[in-house]
Amino acid sequence: MVDQASDVLKDYQALAQQSWDAWTRYLQQQAAAPYAQPGAAHAGTGEDLWARSMAALKGYNEWMQGAVGSGLGQGPADWQQAMQNLFSSMGGQPFAHAFASIDSEAARSFMQLWQSWLQSGQSGVAGMKFDVEHFAAFGYTRERQLQQQALAAAMQEYLEWAGKYQALIQRANGEGMERLQATLANWTDSTRQVDSLKALYDLWVDGAEDAYAKLALSEEFRHVYGEMVNAQSRLRQLQQEQLEAMCRELGMPTRSEVSALGKRLHELRREVRDGNRSSQADEVAGLRAEVAALKRQLATKAEEQSAPTKKTAARSSKREVEDDTVVRRAKPTTAVAARKSVVRGSTRTRK
Amino acid sequence: MFPPLRLDPTALTGEIAAFQRKLAAGLGNLQHQLEPQYANTPREVVYREDKLTVWHMKGQGKPTTKTPTLIVYALVNTVWMTDLQEDRSLVRNLLEQGEDVYLIDWGYPDGADRWLTLDDYINGYLDRCVDAVCKASGVDAINLLGICQGGTFSLCYTATHGDKVKNLITMVTPVDFQTPDNMLSNWSRELDVDRFVDTMGNIPAELLNWVYLTLKPVRLNQQKYVGLVDILDNPKELQNFLRMERWIFDSPDQAGEAFREFIKDFYQQNKLIKGEIVIGGKPVDLGMIMQPVLNIYAEQDHLVPPDASRVLGKLVGTTDYTPLAFKGGHIGIYVSGRAQREVPPAIHQWLSTRN
Repeated sequence: MVDQASDVLKDYQALAQQSWDAWTRYLQQQAAAPYAQPGAAHAGTGEDLWARSMAALKGYNEWMQGAVGSGLGQGPADWQQAMQNLFSSMGGQPFAHAFASIDSEAARSFMQLWQSWLQSGQSGVAGMKFDVEHFAAFGYTRERQLQQQALAAAMQEYLEWAGKYQALIQRANGEGMERLQATLANWTDSTRQVDSLKALYDLWVDGAEDAYAKLALSEEFRHVYGEMVNAQSRLRQLQQEQLEAMCRELGMPTRSEVSALGKRLHELRREVRDGNRSSQADEVAGLRAEVAALKRQLATKAEEQSAPTKKTAARSSKREVEDDTVVRRAKPTTAVAARKSVVRGSTRTRK
Repeated sequence: MFPPLRLDPTALTGEIAAFQRKLAAGLGNLQHQLEPQYANTPREVVYREDKLTVWHMKGQGKPTTKTPTLIVYALVNTVWMTDLQEDRSLVRNLLEQGEDVYLIDWGYPDGADRWLTLDDYINGYLDRCVDAVCKASGVDAINLLGICQGGTFSLCYTATHGDKVKNLITMVTPVDFQTPDNMLSNWSRELDVDRFVDTMGNIPAELLNWVYLTLKPVRLNQQKYVGLVDILDNPKELQNFLRMERWIFDSPDQAGEAFREFIKDFYQQNKLIKGEIVIGGKPVDLGMIMQPVLNIYAEQDHLVPPDASRVLGKLVGTTDYTPLAFKGGHIGIYVSGRAQREVPPAIHQWLSTRN
């Protein structure tokens, strides 16, 4: 018993070491990668990019070769069997490249990362067979063990959802083939006959896209797609937590820290802008009130000059006091300069 | 009764050989291609802030209209779709009609822009861009021409800053984000966008490009390039093709926070049509839009289905609402031959009776 437990622990330690090594190798590869050229931020090697760009044409070429090899055109009566042969010869995925290998660079580097991690877990230690996800964690490295277990579980979950997604894609391929056959089966007159591979290919694409669109708009697809992306996010999150722990140990700034700084900076910018906006609004309101007060003053003076009765003067004087109060209340500091300018302006106007 | 396939084995072999010959001969032409240029209509800077630039586009003659039009493009891809090439340029055609055209180039966000919100974009950047155009042209209010997500932004802006907008034109603009034929909407509905943005930060352009390709994976990722073989020996067509490729894939990352808000509030909760959008503390009520509205949508739009746009007519407060259906797709509405003939004259005609 003791030996068995000891073996399991050794296995577990070896797995942890392999995992660490995989991380280290990955980071070394990343560090050694040449800097991307401006405008090609996600560039791989030239050869790799060329191969990826040419994959569409290669896929079409293979499709044409497969079509001829499947017996298409060798007899008018067995076209359905020939079509089925072609479909089967391509593993049931005649547009495998288009559906499956259009991975983004972001997703690609993600998979590269996890492939190395996965390889370390799968190759494992010879004879190691235990459920790492549910192995009790304890001891000094308990927290790290839990992190590893969470990672393993998250990876497993992601792979499961990715598998379900691929199954849906496979279904779209199959249903595309069925749609093509149904279309062709309806073409029974001489005016609608497929007389070239390109024409057949275009029809097949129509069928595949229609089948895919129907599936992609379904609730089932929505659920699987959402869960696949969410599972990838969970995995990425755990990965980032581990990387951050490593960075902290190395005394390097972490992504979270930089992100928090950016967030604070933006909050500060907003506060400054809001402050300016509010202060400008106050200033404008103050100036408006002041202009209104000055207009009233001028009007009053004009009235006084034209009809200087005791009663009017008293009323005007009272209004001046009120206006002055409005001006002072509105914006005492900025109002001074503004008042001068308004008065000067009105004086000039009067001249 | 005739069999649907009339394929002759000899002809098939010949077809494959012809394809391979054409490909081999044409590949050489790819080696000597320069980076395809956009139309590069003459322009001058009116305003810059952070990574955005407001350009004043210059035509051959002076504008005949007093009210300028500001093009507000989406944050995804670049505004140069509107000025793609000399004979396929919405901007040039509008200038030729006599319009005074400005546009916002949002630039390429990086890590420093991770926390930009929709408030920053709409009440901040866009508002200051509008102010800059008002100042440059000496008017108090301008025309907005919002495209796709930029149209949604323009709607939000007009509803909350109506005094600065004289006329509003929306092109292929999503308003109802949950029509049954909206694939992007379907895919985003169960996304844990908080975790997605928290782990991604800014959303890489290449990831979004991948999502757009998967809307029609076989057409966009294979059939299109099979068709390319047919034009490899035609330098002009090849340049046009490569120019479009440049535009498709030369696209900016998305500021994480704005992306989070847009997906949650617009796609997942469809708040715009419910009148529940609040941006920077300002409620967005489309009923507050009293300006004349011209809503142009594309009948074969796979990104913004027509119904997603059409609903606008029921939501705006104005009585001067004009829908315009275009026979084409989301991109064709700018670059197809039909678009050149139909869209800019329609916009000019509509504006000319309202400016």
